[in-house]
Amino acid sequence: MHLRHRLTPAVFLAGLLCSSGGVRAEEPLPKADEILDKFVEVTGGKAAYEKVHNEKSTGTFEFVGKGVKGSMTLYRAEPNKMYMRVDLENIGAIEDGTDGETAWMLSALQGPHIKEGEERALSLRQATLREPLLWRKMYKSAETAGIENVDGAACYKVVLTPNEGKPQTQYYDKKNNLLVKMTVTLVSQMGEIPSETVFSDYKEQNGILSAHKTRSKALGQEFEITIGQIDYNIDMPKDRFDLPNEIKALAKK
Amino acid sequence: MRSARIFTIALACATLAVAQPALTAEQRRLNLESFEFIWSTIRDQYWDPTFGGVNWTAVRDEFRPRIERAATMPETRSLMGQMLGRLGKSHFAIIPADVYGDLDSHDDAGGTGTAGIDVRVLAGRAIVTSVEENSPASAQGVRPGWEVLSIDGTVLAPRIQKVAELYRNSTMREVYLARSALAKLAGDEGSVARVQFRDGSGRGVTKEIERVRPRGSLAKFGYLPPSYVWITSRRIEGDIGYIAFNLFLDPARLMPAFGGAVHSCTGCAGMIIDLRGNPGGLGIMAMGMAGWFIDKPDQRLGTMYTRQAPVKFIVNPRPPVYSGALAILVDGSSASTSEVFAGGMKDLGRARIFGTRTAGAALPSAIDRLPNGDALQHAMADYISEGGRTLEGMGVVPDVEVKLTREALLAGHDPVLDAAIEWIHARK
Repeated sequence: MHLRHRLTPAVFLAGLLCSSGGVRAEEPLPKADEILDKFVEVTGGKAAYEKVHNEKSTGTFEFVGKGVKGSMTLYRAEPNKMYMRVDLENIGAIEDGTDGETAWMLSALQGPHIKEGEERALSLRQATLREPLLWRKMYKSAETAGIENVDGAACYKVVLTPNEGKPQTQYYDKKNNLLVKMTVTLVSQMGEIPSETVFSDYKEQNGILSAHKTRSKALGQEFEITIGQIDYNIDMPKDRFDLPNEIKALAKK
Repeated sequence: MRSARIFTIALACATLAVAQPALTAEQRRLNLESFEFIWSTIRDQYWDPTFGGVNWTAVRDEFRPRIERAATMPETRSLMGQMLGRLGKSHFAIIPADVYGDLDSHDDAGGTGTAGIDVRVLAGRAIVTSVEENSPASAQGVRPGWEVLSIDGTVLAPRIQKVAELYRNSTMREVYLARSALAKLAGDEGSVARVQFRDGSGRGVTKEIERVRPRGSLAKFGYLPPSYVWITSRRIEGDIGYIAFNLFLDPARLMPAFGGAVHSCTGCAGMIIDLRGNPGGLGIMAMGMAGWFIDKPDQRLGTMYTRQAPVKFIVNPRPPVYSGALAILVDGSSASTSEVFAGGMKDLGRARIFGTRTAGAALPSAIDRLPNGDALQHAMADYISEGGRTLEGMGVVPDVEVKLTREALLAGHDPVLDAAIEWIHARK
């Protein structure tokens, strides 16, 4: 549905936070829950989201300016199951997933890893299929912190604090209430890495409007995901979210 | 990667100059532009935003008027070097245009063709340390221990002397000494190198050796120039595994091959990983390879400190993990990811290191050409090995220092490998 769910520290090894000029809020700010609920409305409505039980997205992945490219496939199913595979040219596969309980990562480069603590919590949030509808359950607070310009567009700045983990800041365009930017600290086994993601190219598929392009920055690197196709309610393979053997072996230890 | 590894020296030669011509107005303008480029690059990219307590703005205010008043290029370079020196870190240097040209070997034959021999400078002389099987050099009868006297008419001794002088205080001395010879040996595939040797009995021997395609597979990574990557593994004396590879690149092929070699030797008495001459590559591969030898979770090889955040070089255990004796062989040409791997494994107490001190070039660094034609080398992150030591400018000091000698090579020995084998046998 929304690319904000598709960002993962597993492939996000790389962030410079672009500053956005502050704009003095002279008008009364809407409450965060109004902004977040309106996002659901402008992107298809509650009923459209509730019809979705699973999804498959395919697209491309590129480290900008590095000449490193690949393909990406993402599966998600309710309530919070996820499997993502990125195949990078000349590097190999990076897989990331959760069966709703165990969150893991497996890469040809680094081997298997079972996530714990904040890292696991972040994965489970990213895996939540209907997160735009369920944010009240996932975040202990949401506050409108002001209005800021993002690439020339005035945006509401909303700070969401999850039940477990660090706050993330989302920017919603005042004109159309679409999410255009998010900053979050990616918690991974390699450290806590500040990141920024810009969302664009919103397109409607199966009654839901979603960003088809994201450009993310972290650790001075930049990568771009371009979604080509999103299919909802597919015939999902039964074992799609099963733990890989390498993860099972690690879990046994 | 090759271009990212030129080290601090250049100021030394700058100060040797005498009777330098006065700068023209255009040169002064370009020098000022270069100064601003250097200063702002450090301001924006240096990993420590506090600059280690140095007031970087005040440094600019102090040095800019002095650059404006500088009368010669050596004086200008010296001032730029002094400014960089305020950071108190290695891997920051101004490289004069002519020195950069020498080290980048643009004046040499270039090309990917190889004569099939490896060379190190031992006791001031270029010595063949290995000859590839079935290579043209092998067919011509070239043997380890032979001294390379000249290549295509270029006598190596003065070249070696010049580089040795330039790098006399640098841990990267060995790297550049070896390169000074190897750069002349490289050339277009199919071309012929006329090499004059001194053989084992001290006689002069001249061989015409065809340069051929290097062994291994041509690997591409992003916009880096394609490189030939090889990996080899075998058993030594029945129960010791031996793995060597020339670069930490081509992970799609190298990682499974490396892991397969480790898994095929789970019952071995010991394992030897030979990183001599390996200049590094993708840092993340060091973490991945370490996972085949470390079974305890949450271990790390070290930490890289960037402007944005520290990045832990975490090791994920990859069961079944090899738990036997592990020896890692290094030399002065082992750099970057080789040092991250060897240094981290040493610090974790998981491997014993044999050979000579590594190059001390572990930082990711870049070289940018300046408007005045010189170049700026600058590191973009700091790296501290798990033991708390910086590798940059220090290198990994082996647990057991063993040096190659011409005599040992001529006798068919590899004293570094022999020492590792002996240690493994002693542990049985």
